[in-house]
Amino acid sequence: MGPQAVLSHLHRADGSATYAQNGYSIIGSVNGPIEVLRRDELPEEATIEVNIRPAIGVGSPKERHLETLIHNTLRSIILTRSIPRTLLQITLQVRSLPEEDASTGVSTSLTLLPHLLNTALLSLLSASIPLSTIVTSVLLAIPANTSTPVCSPDPKELLRAKPIRSIHVFAFSGDRRLLLNESDGTFSYDEWEEACELAEDVCCKEEGGVGLGEGMEVDGPQDNMESWLRDVVKRKVEQEQRWRTAD
Amino acid sequence: MPREAEVSVNERAFILEALQENIRLDGRAFDAFRSLELRFGDEYGVADVQLGKTRVIARISVDVTVPPPERKFDGVFQIVAEFSPMASPAFEIGRPTDAEVILSRILEKAIRRSNALDTESLCIIAGLKCFALRADVHIIDHDGGLIDASCIAVMAALQHFRRPDVVVEGEKATILSVREREPIPLSILHQPLCVTFSYYEEEEIFLVDANLAEEQVRQGEVIVTMNRHGEVCQVAKYGGATIDPLAILNCNNIALQKVKDLSKLIQKRLEEDAKQRDVGGLLAELSAENERPMEPPVG
Amino acid sequence: MSASAIVVLPGDEIPSAQLPKPTNKKKTLTLGPGLRHIPPETITTTIAGALVTDARKNAAWIEYNSGRYMPSVGDLIIATVNNSTGEAFNCFITPNTPQAALPHLAFEGATRKTRPVLPPNSLVYARITNSGRDSIPEVTCVDSSTGKSEGLGPLKGGMVFKISLGMARRLLSGRKGGVTVLEGLSEKMGFEVAVGRNGVLWVDGGSVKTTLAVGKAIQEVDEQALGEKGQKKVVDKVLRGV
Repeated sequence: MGPQAVLSHLHRADGSATYAQNGYSIIGSVNGPIEVLRRDELPEEATIEVNIRPAIGVGSPKERHLETLIHNTLRSIILTRSIPRTLLQITLQVRSLPEEDASTGVSTSLTLLPHLLNTALLSLLSASIPLSTIVTSVLLAIPANTSTPVCSPDPKELLRAKPIRSIHVFAFSGDRRLLLNESDGTFSYDEWEEACELAEDVCCKEEGGVGLGEGMEVDGPQDNMESWLRDVVKRKVEQEQRWRTAD
Repeated sequence: MPREAEVSVNERAFILEALQENIRLDGRAFDAFRSLELRFGDEYGVADVQLGKTRVIARISVDVTVPPPERKFDGVFQIVAEFSPMASPAFEIGRPTDAEVILSRILEKAIRRSNALDTESLCIIAGLKCFALRADVHIIDHDGGLIDASCIAVMAALQHFRRPDVVVEGEKATILSVREREPIPLSILHQPLCVTFSYYEEEEIFLVDANLAEEQVRQGEVIVTMNRHGEVCQVAKYGGATIDPLAILNCNNIALQKVKDLSKLIQKRLEEDAKQRDVGGLLAELSAENERPMEPPVG
Repeated sequence: MSASAIVVLPGDEIPSAQLPKPTNKKKTLTLGPGLRHIPPETITTTIAGALVTDARKNAAWIEYNSGRYMPSVGDLIIATVNNSTGEAFNCFITPNTPQAALPHLAFEGATRKTRPVLPPNSLVYARITNSGRDSIPEVTCVDSSTGKSEGLGPLKGGMVFKISLGMARRLLSGRKGGVTVLEGLSEKMGFEVAVGRNGVLWVDGGSVKTTLAVGKAIQEVDEQALGEKGQKKVVDKVLRGV
């Protein structure tokens, strides 16, 4: 099942989104562009601040590490130079994790990472922050007994497929550039390449296929992240333009 | 240093003028709460409270630890409320604002020190092992009334939470997973709830559940915590103008009515949630409660 | 624009077929919010929303209704005065953003000796005169060509209401915006309004009840995205209450 998303539902934040998939649920918010503290000010670009707040407790090195990864990925798609000397505050609050999350035997930061990235992007879209492109992210797992990667596995699937040999997180930009890759476990280069290609197919729309405008009519394969995102934004626009058709 | 945007002179004058004419901006009565929505998560111990535009999520989690040597027969219970920029750009992580400190302090006094939770029931083996219970309060959206909303969220989450059962043989304690044995509810002694009164015009006007704009123009606040039996757990008044003792008594009377209403609503939602979980009455059969009769909550 | 608007994501390239076909060949293409030009001929989007084109003005932009207000020259806004320095008032256009400068002399008839006194947190209705990204925004309360206030200046009394940026745009765009509720209310009530593109609506109806009724009516139309019929219902409901 594809992810679910609600946009712009918080009143205080400039942009917000709630994202849910496979038992992971994350609330994201963006404030900005706002005034930046002198010590964080960058003369030529916007300062990006990412805060990840776990469901339980108040942040550990695990969250700090994820914050760095997300910060670096977002920095490459936000047009920071068009809003210099300002601050973008991105807060990602983990609302719930699947029950099986801790018992799958794989890195729990990696299983969470794609969901955090997708939530962050939705929140940025909701805040109408200028971006050069979009980013979509997906998790892949390669179980020990087979070499075919499983795409965005449900934690229950991971439990059944245990032991998992390796897991991979990929994030692609709208123009099919690989923005982030984190892999954990034992794998061959061929396996990584196969996983990478599969992730690209899931994250990005088919190359040279439908042009702008046509993609909206057909939803495409349900598990394509790009068409899913387009659908979410289409609903947002429809919501905003309701008054034009209301009687 | 970022700070909360101040309310304009026009808004201040208008809100106060309206109050003089017995009007609140959202059309509520002076002693009315905003619409309250309470939802529970799929997991046990997650309460999502929406009070008007304010939204707070409380989550209970449990761990096993060694009890502090001075309290061998007690478990550990901790409430953590930290603000994040999600609720307001004025909130900075790691630099608590006054509001954050006051919220933590009130929750501590209202829930922990009033013994809402029977911490002795969290003891597994005296002096060796006990449950450590933790309540995380996440402020998601901020339009005033954080104390009242957080208290409702924590109390509802505590009552919704189920901790894993445990088997003790001598000095060996085995925690049974959810699959092995139906987890058991916490022993709640009573249900304290907070009602915040904001006062204006030399204590002539008292408002229940002020929103952010109303909070920003008030002279002061009185926070009353009590349970539905009218047992006052704490009364707090921070700074601001002086207040007449009689006015506090009056607040107590209003608070009692509000707490009764809120308790009823929490109870109703808990029952609805239990019914939803208990499809086909399976839970009653699986429940471990039959073997060990729990004392009904006194509160 | 119909419901089948072209919905874009950041980074989408706009093919030339989607751009306006100018009636006047000499007019250069104007790119509004959400679009950027990458030389030589690529035009891409930077925000998610609906692509809107205007063939007469040879302009294209992305319409969106969420996020923080970004100052743009010529926009009317309602700002909050924070403090006063030697030459200018420092104002917030939106909370927590760098403050805009409102020169003491940028009021109708203001001279060095007769400049207005604005205490902190008072409201002014102003026009943005500078919004460059490398300098602080500047606003004015006077039309530089006529020297008249043209309705701008300090806002006294009344109350402000938060509205969406889209609603503010609609209110300021006249008939095209499709907001009829104010006209409807004005048949039976007297009130003054000022609309700020920064999502602030100021209303003064002389009494608490009237001011509130007008402000709430606009907020209701905004939140529920009411069409003409819906707005009529709101008007009837308010007028019945008076």
